[in-house]
Amino acid sequence: MSAALEDVATFGAVEKIIEPQSAEEIATIVRKCEADKISLAPLGAARTLSQIRRAPVQIGISLKRMARIVAYEPDDMTVVAQAGLTIGELNATLATPGQRLTVDPRDPDATTLGSLIAAAHAGPLRLSEGTVRDLLIGIQFVGHGGSIIRAGGRVVKNVAGYDLMKVMTGSFGTLGIVTEATFKVRPIPENYTLAVATFTDADAAFAATAKLHDQIPLIHLEVMSPRASSAIGASERFVVLAGFAGIRSELAYQSDRIASVLGSTIEMLDGDRALELYSSMRDLAFGDDAVTARIAVLPNELARCARESSAEFIAHIGSGIAELSTSTADPGLVARWREIAHSARGHLRVISAPASIRSEIDFFDRPNPGAFKLMQRLKSTFDPAGVFNPGCFVGAL
Amino acid sequence: MECIILASIAEALKCLLCREAGGATPQAYPRRSEAESREFKNHSPLPERIRQHARVAIVDGNGKSNRVAIDASLARELRAIVGDDAIVSRRSELKVYECDGWTIEKSAPDLLVMPRSTEEVSAVLRALHRRGIPFVPRGAGTGLSGGALPLAPVMICTSKMNRILTIDLANRRIEVQSGVVNLHVTNAVKANSYFYPPDPSSQMACTIGGNIAENSGGPHTLKYGVTTNHVLGVEVVLPDGEVVALGGPVDERCGYDLVGAVVGSEGTCGMVTAATLRLMREPEGHRTILATFADVEDATAAVSKIIASGMIPGAIEMMDRLILKAVEAAFHVGFSPDAGAVLIVEIDGLEVGLDERAAAAIELMRTCGVTEAKLARDEAERALLWKARKRAFGAVGRLAPNYATQDGVVPRTRLPDILRVINAVSERHGLAIGNVFHAGDGNIHPIVLYDERDADQVRRAIEAGREILTACVEMGGSLTGEHGIGVEKMGEMPLLFSPDDLIAMTELRRVFDPDERSNPFKVIPTPGACVEVTSPRRQVPL
Repeated sequence: MSAALEDVATFGAVEKIIEPQSAEEIATIVRKCEADKISLAPLGAARTLSQIRRAPVQIGISLKRMARIVAYEPDDMTVVAQAGLTIGELNATLATPGQRLTVDPRDPDATTLGSLIAAAHAGPLRLSEGTVRDLLIGIQFVGHGGSIIRAGGRVVKNVAGYDLMKVMTGSFGTLGIVTEATFKVRPIPENYTLAVATFTDADAAFAATAKLHDQIPLIHLEVMSPRASSAIGASERFVVLAGFAGIRSELAYQSDRIASVLGSTIEMLDGDRALELYSSMRDLAFGDDAVTARIAVLPNELARCARESSAEFIAHIGSGIAELSTSTADPGLVARWREIAHSARGHLRVISAPASIRSEIDFFDRPNPGAFKLMQRLKSTFDPAGVFNPGCFVGAL
Repeated sequence: MECIILASIAEALKCLLCREAGGATPQAYPRRSEAESREFKNHSPLPERIRQHARVAIVDGNGKSNRVAIDASLARELRAIVGDDAIVSRRSELKVYECDGWTIEKSAPDLLVMPRSTEEVSAVLRALHRRGIPFVPRGAGTGLSGGALPLAPVMICTSKMNRILTIDLANRRIEVQSGVVNLHVTNAVKANSYFYPPDPSSQMACTIGGNIAENSGGPHTLKYGVTTNHVLGVEVVLPDGEVVALGGPVDERCGYDLVGAVVGSEGTCGMVTAATLRLMREPEGHRTILATFADVEDATAAVSKIIASGMIPGAIEMMDRLILKAVEAAFHVGFSPDAGAVLIVEIDGLEVGLDERAAAAIELMRTCGVTEAKLARDEAERALLWKARKRAFGAVGRLAPNYATQDGVVPRTRLPDILRVINAVSERHGLAIGNVFHAGDGNIHPIVLYDERDADQVRRAIEAGREILTACVEMGGSLTGEHGIGVEKMGEMPLLFSPDDLIAMTELRRVFDPDERSNPFKVIPTPGACVEVTSPRRQVPL
């Protein structure tokens, strides 16, 4: 029994865990659960599930025995893998021919592909490489009635049939159990370099990054608040991290441009030092006692939203995404942040909150009524028995 | 708190069964519509079709026909909604709308309406909903798989919904009505060095609404992605007339990704009336390389080499000997008469690195036997190369009275294999087949030349196309990379998807359109009744 799974019991996300070895076994379980109205949910390390569930599901489907790479042809730049494989394990294989999965949520060694898809996790690379929805080109999942459904395929360009990959991405286990996924992969960029600059003032940091984003194609671009940046050992002030790569001539050119925008306090890291700081930034967690939420807003409103939230933050410039965090366990604060997100035409999702206030928080924002009606129909169509991770997604779907 | 890790499925089930007091055998929950599943399984890819010369009538398994009589009250009501100048009911004028770029099947609608606003679309759809009448959305009609073939009496065309609503350069967003022409989006922001990446060859005419329906691609999607990667939000009028906003201007979804479900649904989820698109910064510069090879095998090997090197060019396009001959005759590009194949490789990015990157690409191609590699000297030369490529299909008209094209996809490493198959198919059927590829994506466009006056050639051309598509699927590929299933490839869907897959897709469609009135008889073969292909694939430029 792994440590992560012991935690599941502690958090009360599931009552029992089953570790099936094939989609067919999952199909049998699904049929059984539907017959008996037993709730079930897929889980990787169960971090997301343990946060969003108010009452445990009866059966947790762990895919730890379904963690194989099914097919990988480096020259096709696609990989098919079972959903129980972690991003870290996948990338270890892909690294041999110099490739990687370019979606980079925190803790790749604890994040399974199934959880990546179900929770639509993303990381800093979204600026240049997109997110799961851009990279997931094929899927297999067990749906209602125990049907094993495939959609998409193994080729990078494909418009045959409806895009069930998109429907499953970010569906939090409420429509079925993802068992296998096909991703586009990309080459690991050459000469990754990380520019680090510190600012005493948030507005100045945001203004500089806006200018950078406008002028130079970057791999990722972040502004971090003082406590966030000190947590990764970068500074005690506001920090800008700008990642870029290329051949030597391009690096020199980009370095000059970045330096001219960010000013003289800039530090250029390369090689392992760059990768280490990037990994710390990617994996930054605000702690179990903190309330952490992700806002998605119009990119040019991100600075205002971060400022008005009075939170510690890591802001992904250009994408309009930021993680906000506070150590104050106050459900009212989440409501205020949500209003701020709405004022910038966006929305907010709570990532984690202390157990003491979880029941008072809506983890998911509410879609508009028209869209929500379609979502209700989607849920009842794909889960007529109402057994797939019920009651904890948007609008208690 | 109890937490049991169960090693085997048997134990798991035993554990579940323990919950049953008295151990009564539970009733199995019904499998995903077994009856439906059986129907799909028994369904031949070539079912019966009732076809008249200029009109297609299709009757499904339940005897439900696509042909519903239009009564005078409907015409009056629609006229009142959109106005006299936005409705067409005269047979001679409706003939224009009898097909899209897939010209094999024709069926004029009984009525065409051209609403100007979302409100008008909604009112039109409410009127149709009350009467249970199906409809066909249409953009510019440049689709290549019959997606806009009117298999319903009323056609709703977006040609008057061509306003750009907002341009937000600070956020790299643009919001447009669905009838806006693809190229007009880029034109609206070009002066500020932004562009909208999907660039289908029909981009001077095709609309954003059509692009969303088909999830359109184009040469530059190798690096920048297809339509679905650039649509943030859509406004959809559901078949019952309700207006729904899905997605929005921000980068993450709230709830299920219904935008992702609508994009590529080929008009079967209602009418898209507006969309919020993501714009991109234009790359600083380009280098466009014209590389000549002795044969297609060498050119294909070069594509693999370039991709494997980690370089991601903006585009890699291939044309073979047959196509080159036609293109040279039409455009005088200066292709060598000995060329067995050429690649157009476009490298883009920071100006400062372009020469080095282009040189590296050329060096890689040298190891694969490139006979000549030259850079386009200026924008005019680059434009000529792209014109030759994008109009290659038109030029093929010089070689034979008719031609038919496919849009299959194979994994990139299988390109040499599919080419061998295409050659063998060509020999076996005694028909010339030319090749234009989006080589970087493995998206092939073989062009089968034939003469429709010869019935046996027609039969062989159909057979050749089907054999190539079957080979694509067997190699782990797909039926279509960018043209869509439409009516054209419906019959082949069971090659790629199981009955359960197709049922799940139908279920998704019914979330939006429970009665299947929006663009009926497309994409998913209707058990017991779908279009039989009796003519080869379309012959239009792509």
